Amino acid sequence: MLAMKHLQKVYRTHLIETHALRDFSIHVREGEFVAVTGPSGSGKTTFLNIAGLLEEFTGGEYKLDGVDVGGMNDAERSRLRNEKIGFIFQGFNLIPDLNLFDNVDVPLRYRGFNAAERKRRIEESLGRVGLASRMKHYPSELSGGQQQRVAIARALAGSPRLLLADEPTGNLDSLMARGVMELMEEINRQGTTIVMVTHDPELAVRAQRNVHVMDGQVTDLGEEPRLRVPASPEPMPA
Amino acid sequence: MFAYYLQLGLRSLRRNPVLTALMVLGIALGIAASMTSLTVFHMMGSDPIPWKSSKLHYVQMDNWDPNQPYGDDGSPPDQITYRDAVALMQAGKADKQTAMFKLALPIQPANPQVKPFMALGRVASADFFGMFEPPFRYGGPWGRDQDAAHARVLVLTSDTNEKLFGGQDSVGKTVRMDGVDYSVVGVLDKWKPRFKFYDLTNGALSAADEFFMPFTTAIDLRQRASGNNSCWKFPGEGWDAYLQSDCVWIQMWVQLDSPARLAEYKSFLDSYVNEQKRLGRFPRPLDNRLPNVTQWMQAQRVVPRDVEVQTWLGFAFLTVCLVNTIGLLLAKFMRKSGEIGLRRALGASRSEVFRQFLIESGVVGLSGGLVGLLLTGLGLIAVRALYADYKNVAQLDWTMVLTTLVLAIVAALLAGLYPTWRACRVQPASQLKTQ
Amino acid sequence: MEIRPILSALMRSKVALVLIGLQIALTLAIVCNALFIIGQRLERMQRPSGMNEVDTFAVTSSGFGEGFDVRSTMEADVTLLRSLPGVAAATAINSLPLSNGGWSSGLVLKPDQRTPLASAAFYFVDAGALDALGLKLVAGRNFKPEEIGYRTMNDNVTPAGVIVTRALAEKLFPGQGAVGRQFYIDDPRTTPPTTVVGVVDRLQEPWVDSKEIEYSVLRPQHLPYGNSSTYLVRAEPGRRDEVMKQVEDKLAAANPSRIVRGLKSVESVRAEAYAADRAMALILGAVIVALLTITALGIVGMASFWVTQRTKQIGTRRALGATQFDILRYFLTENFLITTLGLLVGAVLTYAFNVWLMTHYESPRLPWHYVPVGFLCLWALGQIAVLGPATRASRVPPAVATRSV
Repeated sequence: MLAMKHLQKVYRTHLIETHALRDFSIHVREGEFVAVTGPSGSGKTTFLNIAGLLEEFTGGEYKLDGVDVGGMNDAERSRLRNEKIGFIFQGFNLIPDLNLFDNVDVPLRYRGFNAAERKRRIEESLGRVGLASRMKHYPSELSGGQQQRVAIARALAGSPRLLLADEPTGNLDSLMARGVMELMEEINRQGTTIVMVTHDPELAVRAQRNVHVMDGQVTDLGEEPRLRVPASPEPMPA
Repeated sequence: MFAYYLQLGLRSLRRNPVLTALMVLGIALGIAASMTSLTVFHMMGSDPIPWKSSKLHYVQMDNWDPNQPYGDDGSPPDQITYRDAVALMQAGKADKQTAMFKLALPIQPANPQVKPFMALGRVASADFFGMFEPPFRYGGPWGRDQDAAHARVLVLTSDTNEKLFGGQDSVGKTVRMDGVDYSVVGVLDKWKPRFKFYDLTNGALSAADEFFMPFTTAIDLRQRASGNNSCWKFPGEGWDAYLQSDCVWIQMWVQLDSPARLAEYKSFLDSYVNEQKRLGRFPRPLDNRLPNVTQWMQAQRVVPRDVEVQTWLGFAFLTVCLVNTIGLLLAKFMRKSGEIGLRRALGASRSEVFRQFLIESGVVGLSGGLVGLLLTGLGLIAVRALYADYKNVAQLDWTMVLTTLVLAIVAALLAGLYPTWRACRVQPASQLKTQ
Repeated sequence: MEIRPILSALMRSKVALVLIGLQIALTLAIVCNALFIIGQRLERMQRPSGMNEVDTFAVTSSGFGEGFDVRSTMEADVTLLRSLPGVAAATAINSLPLSNGGWSSGLVLKPDQRTPLASAAFYFVDAGALDALGLKLVAGRNFKPEEIGYRTMNDNVTPAGVIVTRALAEKLFPGQGAVGRQFYIDDPRTTPPTTVVGVVDRLQEPWVDSKEIEYSVLRPQHLPYGNSSTYLVRAEPGRRDEVMKQVEDKLAAANPSRIVRGLKSVESVRAEAYAADRAMALILGAVIVALLTITALGIVGMASFWVTQRTKQIGTRRALGATQFDILRYFLTENFLITTLGLLVGAVLTYAFNVWLMTHYESPRLPWHYVPVGFLCLWALGQIAVLGPATRASRVPPAVATRSV
């Protein structure tokens, strides 16, 4: 599903070079729920950005769902992002001026679905997170946990192959955090691959596999994956 | 605290020079547009002789064609006939009264170095000087006795005296005009009414008068007015027929010192016209009017329509500039919500934030006002260049300078109210967490 | 494409909408009406006077003293002027088109007619007038030198024949051919009628504000005003300024007991006549330019602010799959919507403003096409103004979405 080999990311300013990722390799299989952990500044977020095609890398190879994304232009990357990836952010990133319906609608518009298809998907995904009755509400009228559920609904609406979560419970209290985690586990059980970046070990243990990152490198690939629902067999990397 | 906020405001404005320049320029342009037009409007439209404008009344009587009114709106003529002027002068029912008309005469200077020139002057009665109060430098006005004697006397304006006598006391000296000698009884000091409010029929902005001559004397010498003359029927042959005709070419002002005197004069005028009606004159319905200076200015539309439209437009433009400023101030203040949150967390009360940002708006307004004042000056130079006869009315006076600055600050404070209110609503430390 | 969500988002931040919308609305109202006024003024200024304005100039003589005889002076002056090198034609005349001063009177066809059929300007001229003014005779004939008389206070003669303009001829004798027909130019109760001997194509009255500006009558008479007389001189093409330089001295030398004054080209008379219109047009033009600039800068300022405020949102949209072009289009569409709402209000304001001008300032009704043209211009202005901030927005990197600020 997601395969990075010897990935490098160097930030250059005219004074210094910062190696955010050096020789970073990881392989996430279809249907896995992987937690990427590591201290602040270890390169977790850079990994997530590159994985989500939000940033380009400076060296190495990255294949997303079998597609080599190196050398893609901005529009192609946007398209790929829209079709294959769903994002869940720490700060929810809902658009405050849009109601829930319209928030979930955002990625679907960019996909180019027709109105009926969009409506069906919005209602279905909001239903999945238990907020179908509040479609006309605005984000500010919801609790943090509910907002994150909307964000998850937005991420799911386009039926992505891969869900990328960035500290999804970082802004939530423990009760709400548990609810969100349970929802994500449920989604994973239904077949969506999830990669979650977090610095919270408690959260990380709930994933199937923990990948530890330190100084821009993977230091621990974690135990071998136990596949719950093998969706489509994929060849193991050599 | 004011000084501190002032300092903060100035620093904040310096930090964002492009945005600040935009706001200041916006206000300045709006202020300049509105103040340039308002200045012209004010100079033309405001009372030129406020201490007695309500006592000076212009005389209107309707002797016009029974088939067609003089004015499109049915108003009576804006001048009267010679015979009626003489009748009213002789009746002498007002506290002061003058008949007058505009006269152009060639002056033949005694000094051979000065070429003969055409002078535009005013033919008036002795009371003119007491009524309109021009200041004298030498001598004084002629008296009613000289009116009666058809005396060949003149009052010169200071410019004419300068031209003819090098500015010396010329009282008693002789001036030859069109072959006739007149002796100078008085010389005016600089007298610069913004416009010729005492003669609104021949153009309020027409050139200043150069001399004054008794009405009776000019009639004696058969001088015809060089101002407007209107007849609704053939006046007949010759000078005497013209004087007896229904042609209107004389302007008449009366001074009435109290409302009671005004009422008395009105009824005198009505009875005069009714008497004339019995003689077969004044075929139209009785319509005597005695507008005072400001009413007469309104009726004669001293402020041109263009200037009125320009003034409205100037203020509409200012409104757009203010809306613009509200937007820009809002942008500026909301960008600082982090700073506001911090200040609030550090103990600034809501009203202190309010004061700080309102003062910043005030600083923008004052800067806009100062630049606007400069632009208003330039605008008035442009107006003077565009309208040759506006040189006396397109001038800033202290009232207008002060108005400009006050208007700019008030405008900016008004524009700053909403953004400031928004700034006040920023919660203390709401921005700290994510910083 | 995504009009509805943009619109509903706009409705949530009404202040921005109102601020820009109001600016657009006022701008439309002011610009349309100002352009309309400018158009009227330019149209006014372009009306032809009917005379040759390029080669002509006027000069006035004012005599003084007992010995001055205005009649002999006028005759001598016209002869002198015609003899000057570079002079093509000259006439004595009482007033000029565009000069805003002259003699007008009501005209009737029958002596018992109470209300005049038309009000016309009188030009008192001699037989050289058609040539000096450069008028085109379209019917009948010119005056003969022996027909020229005098009109003074003691000598109120009505001429036997006059020349009228085509417009006046059509008004007095519609479709009948005016030459040979009679009407009254002086008091019909005491004077005889006069006959039309010629019709000229066009000659304006002296008053540029006159409603029926082309109703003029040429009378074959000299009209001295006191001891003053005015002449119109037409120079040979290209020699006007050269002739003007010498004419003052020549006239002064011919008779010392007078003042020669008022020497001005008809072009400068025209400039003076329309100075106020020109000034109004220029002032309104300046207001329009300043207004459009302010509005454009306001849009740039507000849009920049929104882009800054919504950086995170833009990043999120990018993360969710928006291309750079999608973001650019979002801001262009948003601006288009705000502008359109402003313009709809502005259209109402425009007509309200026009109605106000009609009631208070005798303005005509605004032709319908001003508003749609104004819409197009302000749409374009808005799109151009927002292009910069929108481009900046489209360059917001998608990684902003995962940044914590």
